[in-house]
Amino acid sequence: MTATGVAAERPRHAGLEVPARRRPLLWPLLGTSAAVAAVLLTPLAFLLIEAGGTGAGTIAHLIWRPLTANLLWNTIRLTVVVTALCAVIGTLTAWCVECTDLPGRRIWAVLVVVPFAIPDFVVSFGWASISPWVQGFQGAVLVMTLAVYPLVHLPVSASLRSADPGLEDAARSLGAGRVRTFLRVTVGQARGAILGGCVLVALVILAEYGAFEILGYQTFTTEIFTEFQVSFNVPTACALSLVLVLLSCVILGGELPARGGGRTQRTGPLAQRARRRHHLGRATLPVEAAMLVLVGLALGVPVGAAVYWMVAGGSSTLTGVSVLDAGWHTALYSACAAALATLAALPVALLAVRHAGRAGRLLERSTYTVLAMPGLVIALAISYFAERYAGGFGYQSSVLLIAAYAILFFPLALVGVRASVAHAPVALEEAARSLGRPPRAVFLRVTLPLIGPGLAAAFCLVFLACATELTATLVLVPTGVQTLATQFWAYQQNLAYGQAAPFALVIIAIAAVPSYVLARYFDRLPGRAAAAP
Amino acid sequence: MNPTSDGLTVTDLHKAFGAHPVLRGVDLTVPEGAFVAVLGASGSGKTTLLRILAGFDRPDRGVVAVGGAVLDDDRHHVPAERRRIGYVPQEGSLFPHLTVAGNVGFGLRRGRSREQVVGHLLDLVGLSALARRYPHQLSGGQQQRVALARVLAVRPRIVLLDEPFAALDAGLRAAVRTDIHALLRRSGATAVLVTHDQDEALTLADLVAVIRDGRIAQVGSPRGLYEAPVDPDLAQFVGEANLIEGTSGGSTVETRFGRLPLRGGGLPVGQALTVLVRPEQLRVAPATPAASGTAAGAPGVTARVVELDFHGHDAVIRVVAEAGAVPPLIVRVAGEVNLAPGASVTLTVDGPVHCWPRPPAGTGASPPVAVLAVDSVEC
Repeated sequence: MTATGVAAERPRHAGLEVPARRRPLLWPLLGTSAAVAAVLLTPLAFLLIEAGGTGAGTIAHLIWRPLTANLLWNTIRLTVVVTALCAVIGTLTAWCVECTDLPGRRIWAVLVVVPFAIPDFVVSFGWASISPWVQGFQGAVLVMTLAVYPLVHLPVSASLRSADPGLEDAARSLGAGRVRTFLRVTVGQARGAILGGCVLVALVILAEYGAFEILGYQTFTTEIFTEFQVSFNVPTACALSLVLVLLSCVILGGELPARGGGRTQRTGPLAQRARRRHHLGRATLPVEAAMLVLVGLALGVPVGAAVYWMVAGGSSTLTGVSVLDAGWHTALYSACAAALATLAALPVALLAVRHAGRAGRLLERSTYTVLAMPGLVIALAISYFAERYAGGFGYQSSVLLIAAYAILFFPLALVGVRASVAHAPVALEEAARSLGRPPRAVFLRVTLPLIGPGLAAAFCLVFLACATELTATLVLVPTGVQTLATQFWAYQQNLAYGQAAPFALVIIAIAAVPSYVLARYFDRLPGRAAAAP
Repeated sequence: MNPTSDGLTVTDLHKAFGAHPVLRGVDLTVPEGAFVAVLGASGSGKTTLLRILAGFDRPDRGVVAVGGAVLDDDRHHVPAERRRIGYVPQEGSLFPHLTVAGNVGFGLRRGRSREQVVGHLLDLVGLSALARRYPHQLSGGQQQRVALARVLAVRPRIVLLDEPFAALDAGLRAAVRTDIHALLRRSGATAVLVTHDQDEALTLADLVAVIRDGRIAQVGSPRGLYEAPVDPDLAQFVGEANLIEGTSGGSTVETRFGRLPLRGGGLPVGQALTVLVRPEQLRVAPATPAASGTAAGAPGVTARVVELDFHGHDAVIRVVAEAGAVPPLIVRVAGEVNLAPGASVTLTVDGPVHCWPRPPAGTGASPPVAVLAVDSVEC
């Protein structure tokens, strides 16, 4: 995603010939991108303003407590253990699906990714509701590992698919054995993807609220939520948020050394070789069994539990909105936010890919700082600021919720849009123009068809994330309105499992469709890449 | 320079990227229907020139005109889509979401005539059977032919080719090159090919323009360029060259190889010269004890074979003269060669030679003879 990545995407044999391109649209792009980046930075600004209002002495005093140390210990040990487990599981599943002759690998490829679509709080609900021993630290490790390992699996399998099979052959011919080749070459080539996935896992754990609340495991996020929503203790929530953001920044920083280093170079675009798959042989049966266990635990248990409660759980005296009503609001908010985020990502992606200058890179990087802002912190900052400084403007309105979603998931949109823009190289637009087509026609007939699928993928990605978001939604949802997630949460909190179950199942269904579309899209990517060298 | 009204005229073209000047006053005239190759090393500015001609980049200064109509000058810039100048990029840049037929028909209006034109062009490039394929299902050579057909479909006034063969492997390159050349000839289009491959430029083009440091160093027919390059550097860039010292004798030149006829001639007698002897102008004979009189009539030079590269149809021999100041020489010999390294041979020069006045020692110009000596010793 850096400049080196861009160079790799656009091979030019006479690379020295064109030091820079003439840059049409550079200034409008810079302007809109800067505006987008500014909006994305507002939550952080709000947080700092709040902290400033509280006073540095008070903040320091609030942070310097045994509570903080306890939260720190809880958060960090969970993050480390789950990230390590996810790295191993995600890499192994990716390798089995992409590089071996595992029977049924196409079905496995879908099944191991689907748990990603199930929100962590639904997984947590599924486990906690059927087995009382799933709680605390062990419970959190189990649930989070099963819920988020696809975050490693997805980038690693993409990386393995695009990796040069010639390198493995070369390693074998240099005398490296199968294991050594796997560790040094296969994993080595994918190490950027593995590390990137691990960073995402760690960030998710830092930001997670619902799952830990159900499991009774206290982290920074659960404590901030309690302080803000229950005790209305804004200074403490603010102080803890600062520590949490700092933690996220440290984790994000961990990825920086890997950028560029993890880049894989292919041999020439015309030298496409079919990948030879590793023969599993006698290991086939154990591997199949392991995959079955993994999918059973990650997918079977949450879905099974929801179905079980739907059938077995009776009714309660609680009232709430219907699934249809909640579903409508969820879809509405998610679609608006997804459209907004995708649209906002377009100028930033164009700037980063087409004009790989310092300003463009800096702007693109700055938008990724949103990743360090957990959804809860963004929601708190926005809601508090609207209440306190904007005279209550938009407080608890759908506009604020949609804006928060769009900010929160902007990086997701940017990843999708960026990939699609990279598949519509400038050379194609130039070719179209020299064939006598005016810019508008070029956009409609060349650029849009090429980036369209990517834009749709980015939209789905953000939609999926919004529809399954709980924490920020709980803070910002308009009064009197329930989304699927908040209504599920209300029932679940009151142990009305039977009534919570249908909401859980609908959330799973809503989330599964876009993730299937996404899986199909990313499956097609290598072919498209080959078609547009 | 004879500005033809129908061709392409480029006058005093300048272009810099930041503080880095790439074109520093390019002048070029391409007659209508001609096939011109712009030959230059990488970094010489040839791709920049092509992108300006296509209308993708704007020059800082200078004029581009086609058929008497100005496309670029201080005030005008006709955008790429209104120039009717076709551009075949290095990678072909076929639209990956369109079929072969869709690509070829891209620049044409909808209607029945579009299908006819597409069909006709696909016949022309011999790809009718692949009309429904997508670009990634084609070989590199097929992709290039589709890219050319796509450009020819809009009947451009000029076709620009940006190293279209560089991405192809060597075996394919020669065949695709011949194909494309024939196609362009048949279509009658004016073509400008940019390349760093001197073989390609010399075999394909009617006119070769050598670009060096952002300027056109020389324009000429391939033969003229090869036989009479404007300076020793260019002689070495276009083909292999032996540079030896000589002294002018009017229409002849006095060298170690005796008196050689000068091509062109007319230099003041006694002038110090650098003489260009192409490898195929040297004749080799087994050394005889009395090696001063040979068939060519000029006194031979006795030399020792250092290295022999056998190419099948011919061979390249490197020899070192046993006496005197003649540096190691490259000799191209056709047919059968019965020589081994270490053999002693007699060298003579055949045919007229080209030469340049040699600057007196100590003036700024680079000493080409010494440079060559280093070049040709490497084994």
